[in-house]
Parts: sequence; C-alpha cells; structure tokens
Amino acid sequence: MLRHLLQLTWKRKSRNLMLSLEILLAFAIVFGIAAFGLRYWQLYREPIGFDGTDTWSVAMLFSDVPADAIPADTYDLLRRSLLELPEVRAVGFATHAPYTLSTWTTSFKSPQTGAKVDTDTIEVSDDVPAALGMRLEAGRWFDATDEGRAELPAVLNRRMAAALFPGRPALGQRFMSAEAGPPRIYRVVGLVEAFRNKGPFMTPTNFVIARFAPHTSQSRVRTILLKVAPGTPRAFETKLNQRLKAVRNDWSYEIAPLTSMRATLLKEELVPLAVVAVIAAFMLLMVAFGLFGVLWQNTTRRIPEIGLRRALGASAASIYRQIVVEQLLLCSVAMAAALVLLVQLPLTGALGDTLNWPVFAGATLLSMAVIYLLSLACSLYPGWRASRLDPAAALHYE
Amino acid sequence: MLRNYLLTAYKVFLRRKLFTAINLACIVLTLVVLMVITALLQTTFWPSGVEGKSGRLLQVYGIRSESPDGRSSRTNLLGYKTIDKYLKPMTGVERVSAFTVPGTVSVYQGDRVSQLDMRRVDADYWKILDFHVLAGRLPDEDDDRLGRRVAVVNASTARRLFPGAAAVGQRISVSGQTFEIIGVVADVMHMNAYADIWTPLTTFPSTDYQKDLTGNFAAMLLARSPSDLPRIRRDVARIATTFVSDDPHTFPTTRFWADSKLDVVARMLLSRQSEADSGATRLLLMTGAGMLLFMLLPALNLVNLNMGRILERSAEIGVRKAFGATSLQLAGQLVVENVLLCLAGGLLGLVCAQLALWWLEASQLIPYLEVGINLPVFGCGMLLALVFGLLSGALPAWKMSRLDPVHALKGAA
Repeated sequence: MLRHLLQLTWKRKSRNLMLSLEILLAFAIVFGIAAFGLRYWQLYREPIGFDGTDTWSVAMLFSDVPADAIPADTYDLLRRSLLELPEVRAVGFATHAPYTLSTWTTSFKSPQTGAKVDTDTIEVSDDVPAALGMRLEAGRWFDATDEGRAELPAVLNRRMAAALFPGRPALGQRFMSAEAGPPRIYRVVGLVEAFRNKGPFMTPTNFVIARFAPHTSQSRVRTILLKVAPGTPRAFETKLNQRLKAVRNDWSYEIAPLTSMRATLLKEELVPLAVVAVIAAFMLLMVAFGLFGVLWQNTTRRIPEIGLRRALGASAASIYRQIVVEQLLLCSVAMAAALVLLVQLPLTGALGDTLNWPVFAGATLLSMAVIYLLSLACSLYPGWRASRLDPAAALHYE
Repeated sequence: MLRNYLLTAYKVFLRRKLFTAINLACIVLTLVVLMVITALLQTTFWPSGVEGKSGRLLQVYGIRSESPDGRSSRTNLLGYKTIDKYLKPMTGVERVSAFTVPGTVSVYQGDRVSQLDMRRVDADYWKILDFHVLAGRLPDEDDDRLGRRVAVVNASTARRLFPGAAAVGQRISVSGQTFEIIGVVADVMHMNAYADIWTPLTTFPSTDYQKDLTGNFAAMLLARSPSDLPRIRRDVARIATTFVSDDPHTFPTTRFWADSKLDVVARMLLSRQSEADSGATRLLLMTGAGMLLFMLLPALNLVNLNMGRILERSAEIGVRKAFGATSLQLAGQLVVENVLLCLAGGLLGLVCAQLALWWLEASQLIPYLEVGINLPVFGCGMLLALVFGLLSGALPAWKMSRLDPVHALKGAA
C-alpha cells in the first residue's frame, strides 16, 4: 500500500516538488520559532543564583570623575545613613545591578596551566550576597577579614571553576589577572552554582565575583543594592531618595525594585519573539490556505482515477485514506529533507550552545506535530469530498 | 490586446471564486506585513511632523577613541564639553543643539511614584524640532541662562500626572528637584524628540557635566539647505581629528560622525564606528533581501495555486496554441493576470495595513507611535505587489507556455 502510494507521489514529482518546497520552508520557520521558544524555556528553568525579592537597586548618577574625587568614606556614610531607615535590612554596593544589560568582561589566567580564560565579572561589597539572597555552594563569602591581604578574594561559578582548574578542586586555588598592568593575584574562597546577572534568559557564562572594598579597591562603583522589609510599598522610594540626597545632593539617583526591573527586562526579551511568532502564525495560515487549495485542485483533477478505483470496488473510506496518507507522505519527505539541512546546525555547532541537542530534538518534534496537524486539517475536506463521489458520475467526469 | 487579457482574467477570477479568494487572502496577508514594516521604517528614518526637518538634519550620537595599535577602543555618547567646544562654534550650520538621551526619572506626588523618561535639552532643541504645543510655552534662552526649574511634559504624561486638571503651572518633584510645568506638547516617538518630560540643560544638580568630554549627550546639527549636508559631514569628520581626549596617551585617535538617522542606526547595528561610511546602503540592502526572503514562502504558495489553475485551463491554452499564439504571448498573459491579482491584493492590503497601523497605535505596544500610510509608502506597497506578482507568476507561466498543444487540447496535461 505504502509503496504504491510512494510510486504515485513519485510519478507527479514535478508538481510535488514545489509543494514539498513550500512545506519545507514552513517547517523551517516553525522549527526556528520552536527552537527559540524551547531554548528560552530551558534557560528559564536553570538557576540564576540569586533571589531578588524585596531587593531594590539604586543607580547613582554622577559624571566621569577620577576615583580619588569620591572619598571612600562616602560609601560608609551612605551605608550607615540607609541602615538607619527602619525598612532597610542590608546595604551593599556593586558595579552594576542584576537585570540590567550591563556586562563587564575580563580575562584571567591560571598560574598552573597558563590557560587564559575570558569571563564576565562583577565587583560587589561584603553585604551584597545577603542583600541579593545569593546561594553559596562551597567555601565562604568574602568579609572584613580579607581586608588588606595580598591575595584578593574571589567567588567563582561552577563553570568558571571547571574552565580555570579542570579536573581539580578549585577552592583555595590561586589565579592571576591576564589584563595589561601589574598582575593581581586572586584566591578562590567560595563557589556558587550559577550567577546569571542578566536574568533567567541569560546564556550561562563564566563568572567571577570579586570583592569591592571602598578603602582598598581602585574602582568606584555606582550601584547600591538594598534588602528591604517584605511588603515595603513603592512609595518608600520618596523617602529613600530624600535620604540619599541628604548624603550627596549633587548626584541623582535612579531607584527601582529588582522585581520591576526583572519584569521590564523579561518583556523586552519576549516581545521580539512574540512579534515573530505572530508573523509566523499568519504565514502558517497562508500555507494552510495554499495546501487546502492545491489539494482541492488535485482531487478535482484526479476524479476519473478515483472513479475507476471506486468502480473496481474500493470503499469510500479507502479513498479518503489514500488522499490523507498521500498528503502526509509528501509532508514526511519534505520534513526529512528539511531535517537533513537543519541537523547541520547542531552538528557543526554554528549556533553554539543556543541550539543544543535537547532543544533540537524538542523543536523537531514540536514542528513536526504542527506541520502534520496542518496537513491533516487541510486534507480532511478534499479527501471527504473525493470519497463522496458517485463512481458512475466520476467515470464520466470531463 | 491588454483589454482582452484583463477581460479573460476577470472572467477566470470569477469562475473560481473560492480560489480567487484564497489567492487574494494570501497576497493581502503578505503585503500587509511588508507594508506595515515599510511604514514603520519610513517614520523611523524619514519622519514628518516634529522631526520633519530630517532632510536638513544631522546628528552626532557617538564618540569613539582608539589606542595607537587600534586594539583597544571605547565608544561613548558625547559629553557636553565636546559639543560646546567642537561642534557649537561650527560655521555654515544654522543651529547646533546639545541634548541628553532619555533617562528614567521618578516623579513623586505624595504617595504616588511615576517612572518617566526625561531629557535635558538646550534652547536650540526647541527651535530645530517643530513640537506641537498644546498648552503653555516652550523654554527659551532666558530659562537656559538663568537655570530656571521649568519643565515641558507631553500630553500623555500631563494626563497621567494631573488627571482632569490643567498641567501648566503645576509643580512636580523629579528625583528630588522641583520643576514648574510651563508647557504641554503632543506625544511623539521620534529618535531625537521622544521623551515624557523635558527640562533645560542648566537644571543639572551640579555643573560637572560642563567638564565631561564623554557622557550621555547627543548633538543635532541643522543645515541651511540639504545640499550643505556633505560639506557639514566632512567638517565634522575633520573637527574630530583635532579632538584632544582626556587621556591622549592611551587614546590618541578620536572619531565622531555627523549622521542621518539611517546612518546612526546602521552604525549601531553594524558596529562601524571607525569608518566614514556608516553601512547605510548595506543595511538597506539587507532589509530588502530580508523582505524578498519573507516573500519566498507566500510566493511558493501562490506558484502552487497557479499551477493548479493552469492545468484546469489547459483546454483554453491548447486552442490558443493551435491558432498560433506563441509561448511568449501565453506566458505574458498569465504574468499579467497574476500581477493584476497582486495589484488588487496590494490595494486591499493598503486598507488592511492602515487598519493594522491604527491597531498598533491604539495598543501602545510602541509608546506614542504615530504612523500613517503616505505617498512613498503607497508607492513602496505597489512596487512590492508588482515584485510579488512577477515572482509568483513567472514559473507557472513558463510551465504553461511549454504545454504541448495536442495534449492540451485533449485536456490531459
């Protein structure tokens, strides 16, 4: 039966070529969207390494000034002044806030292997882990005991630890900065499972969390992270702003709870996908129209053939089945061709980790299901119409 | 001849109403998407209204400093000092304006906090851009010189902050500074004009901004006539070579460019900050190629539908061939038929695109969007329809012209 149908499909190959090309393209489009959607979902389910509820971020806006223009005491003053507010539980400083699109990239080299490793990094003060609710996997966070030591303390994520010290426990190891200038030596004091500062859709990267101490660090950070009491209303912002202005009146402050920053960022990342999905849905609708039209015309043209089959004793159900199965067969051939092309992407690693095998498999299944359903839906009515033909009339059809 | 073609086409379309409808629906869907994109691109790059002087306008949006070996570089927005020292003294330019890019600020009213996008701008800004003033007045040089704490808000913000009351004359507290609202302007979503609230430059809490070479400023240069633009571009590129950065040892070379809106976006997307050519042509070509690629699936779809239709008409084609019609004539006829259908679809698509744009404006998916279909967009839409018609008509026409008259007469292709 199947062989016979294949033969029938092959005999009309030039017509079917265009139709399969259309299905192939439609499949590729659905595949692309499914792959992106699945990748986002996969990333969303991975840990981001911190808990931002009841954390607020304050960006301090001041112009480019040399580090010594801001006395180190300013940070202590800000901290003490903010902790006096009854709503504030913890105050920390960081180079950039989570849920912003800031990236700070640098590279380190391990003294043992000499391998140079690029990594994202962030400098945070001792209180930030508490303010952000970051979870430690092993070791400890840096604290006041690290002040003034020759080796700078650092916390690595698991990925960075594996890249820098392959096959060895990373805790307690030393590594050096690979940037120009006098080399700085770091010691691994702790490990976290993950830290993804750009939120749940960020691709996991190497990450080094370094210590910011106002009195010893060269840099001047511009972000305050505050842990506030649960249920603090948004109106607290007014009070917070007044308090900050009392410390430095010439700076301006951009205050936002991390939860609202997270919502804004997620929206920004999802809207493009939604727009593309809507356009693709329109295209699929169009393909459905087209398939329906072509199948209708095909069955009309094949009325004499169908009449002959009916006259020779084929049941209506078997005609129906023939039309539907032929269409599904054509779909399968087109999708197989598309898959041969698409499988090159994960094989060559052209898209890196974005299109990994689980995502590829999931996207394939999902898009196959969509295309099969679409063809099935489009062939049901033409098939039914063909199966209803009266054999006598069909044989005389001209 | 053409009249005959049109008549035949009309009759054929009517004979198979369902397929004509399906064909039209496909064409309309495709063209609506393409026309909405065209309309959005047109308002972004060649807007009318507030930034209607775009034909005479150049903007400087970035400053790039490079180390001698070119290995390390940094790209920032301009600082006020750069604009004041290098761009403002330029001759042969009607006006130069310095303004900040929008930044989020909080407006406190009792317990309510509203997040708004604020720009600080100089008095020239209001003269270059043609804002539609709904109430009050716009800031002038006096406000700038005296550093008056005045603000202009747009209509949506005025409604949001003071529902049911006149906004002009009210006072608002923006990030701890108190401003008096002196004017309300219509909402606008253009590259340089977009903001919720505008205040004079001189209201910065400190004067530190006047010492910054890089910061969060951009500059607009208004030429006296569009033909001056190439000269101004050259002048700005030359001025950039005289620029002395605050760290001349590490970053001896500095570049900035006076760009049209398209150039600004192209430079950003293609990261071509160090060349004079912004890659705008490449960006336009890429957009065009993208649109053609987008048309591929619908075109294939139409090819498939048309193939079916030809085979139905094989008897007619056989008769015409038997009476001496050449293949070229027959192919021409089908292409004309198809282009005709596409143009009809294009007209219908224009109406639907206008509806889609109204919906887009009403949905506030892009805030303050105001976009309409004008003559250039109409022209583009019709051109797209023509291209689409040719793209999807060529293959079936070729196939049809190759039908053998003997078989075609019998109706068995």
